Amino acid sequence: MFIQIEPTSEIPIYTQLANQLIELIATGTLKASDALPSVRSLAADLGVNMHTVNKAYHELEKKKIIEIIPKSGAIINPISSNGPSDMQMDLIKLHLKPLIAESIVYGLDKEQILSITSSIISEITEG
Amino acid sequence: MVLTLFLAIILFLTIMQAVIPYLLKKTIVFGVTIPEGHTDDKTLAVYKKTYSATIFFMGSIGLLIYVFWALSNHLQEEKIVFAGLILQFGILLISMALYLYFHIRTTKRKREHKWGDNLKRVRVADLTSRSNDEMLPSLMFALPIPITFGLIGYTAIQYGAMPDLIPTHWGPNGQPDAFTEKNRFSVIALLLILLVMQGMMLAINTFTKKSGVKLNASKRNSSRIQQLTFRKYTSWLLFLVSISMTVLLGFLQLTTIHGDLGGPFLMMAMPLGFLFVILLATAVYAFKVGQGGSRVQLEIDEEPIAGVTDPDDDAFWKAGVFYVNKNDPSIFVEKRFGVGWTMNFGNPMGYLIIFVPLLIISIISFLL
Repeated sequence: MFIQIEPTSEIPIYTQLANQLIELIATGTLKASDALPSVRSLAADLGVNMHTVNKAYHELEKKKIIEIIPKSGAIINPISSNGPSDMQMDLIKLHLKPLIAESIVYGLDKEQILSITSSIISEITEG
Repeated sequence: MVLTLFLAIILFLTIMQAVIPYLLKKTIVFGVTIPEGHTDDKTLAVYKKTYSATIFFMGSIGLLIYVFWALSNHLQEEKIVFAGLILQFGILLISMALYLYFHIRTTKRKREHKWGDNLKRVRVADLTSRSNDEMLPSLMFALPIPITFGLIGYTAIQYGAMPDLIPTHWGPNGQPDAFTEKNRFSVIALLLILLVMQGMMLAINTFTKKSGVKLNASKRNSSRIQQLTFRKYTSWLLFLVSISMTVLLGFLQLTTIHGDLGGPFLMMAMPLGFLFVILLATAVYAFKVGQGGSRVQLEIDEEPIAGVTDPDDDAFWKAGVFYVNKNDPSIFVEKRFGVGWTMNFGNPMGYLIIFVPLLIISIISFLL
């Protein structure tokens, strides 16, 4: 169960880390109630500051993707069966809007955007 | 006797120093990160060969001169010991100078040929590495500590019966050759030193466990197995050192209390046995496991992932030997040149674990 980060990338390391973890959950590699490694050991393995890993974990907690239980660690929440909460829905719209706008500016039409989206979905769910 | 002992140690040292380049990972040559794809570079192979051959040659010459000099003149033991120590330092100095020379050459070669400039630099971690880590639990390192306390208690009970002179140093034949006056401190000084060392081993194991499992980005699965094997045997070696030290120093303490325990043969055999066990274990560790597990035989033959390599952290390695990285929470990291671990000098905790025990031991020896 590998994750990889690019220290020299423009994307901040904590964002890269959070994105990698989300992807592992989406593909089903990380399952509900699995525990993430401790902040200290993941930071040591990646050779990055503990604050960086901590920030990524808190980001995921804010999005209700994981639960941080003091003293025992970070646990993956189950994927909700009744769909996203209002907060999560708003967040997704907020992030999707500029990306879709950018796609339109590049000259993509609705069909193309939908086909890209659907191929990414199958890439994630079918592995 | 002394000469044989020094011959064995110096020969061991020479061989270990000479073979270092071949016990390392291929991705780090003379303390320089070499990206995948350039690890079989011909010039680097020549550098390694030159380094090994020079040390082996110089070491052998030094040893020959030493032996003939010691055998042809009837010398006092102290002189043989002194010259032997000088020779050891000489070999270490030559290795260091050669290392630095080739470190600079390798750095230059890498820079001039722009190795790895077109590769994506990624750092890889395995989320399950901790649950598969087989390093010994730190509790095992705490096991020998009650033995030391037991011996301290036993010494207290036997205090009245103990001799007026307490040994502080033992010669090569295992017999004490330096003494100090008996008092409440000097009778347990040896055990206090043992206690500090046991504590140090415990701390080293605990903090090595917490230190990072560093994977090779282009060979994830094989480097993962190698890393975990390396960690496991590091902790076994450390445990062996802790146990054999307890046996040796505990034995010496009992001979101090009861006089010639087990006769002169055992007095001589114990320290020699200790030396033999430690040298043998170190050699097995170096040749069978290798640095970072680089000599572990793998069942899988992993194709390197194209286009990626590890981030270049040469900047954190001063002279390729001293690791200074304030951001890395690892307290101990793998050495780049040599087999075993070194400190992250950017983390104050490391100083505490290594230098405080050494300071306490020096103070105890000074007070005797």
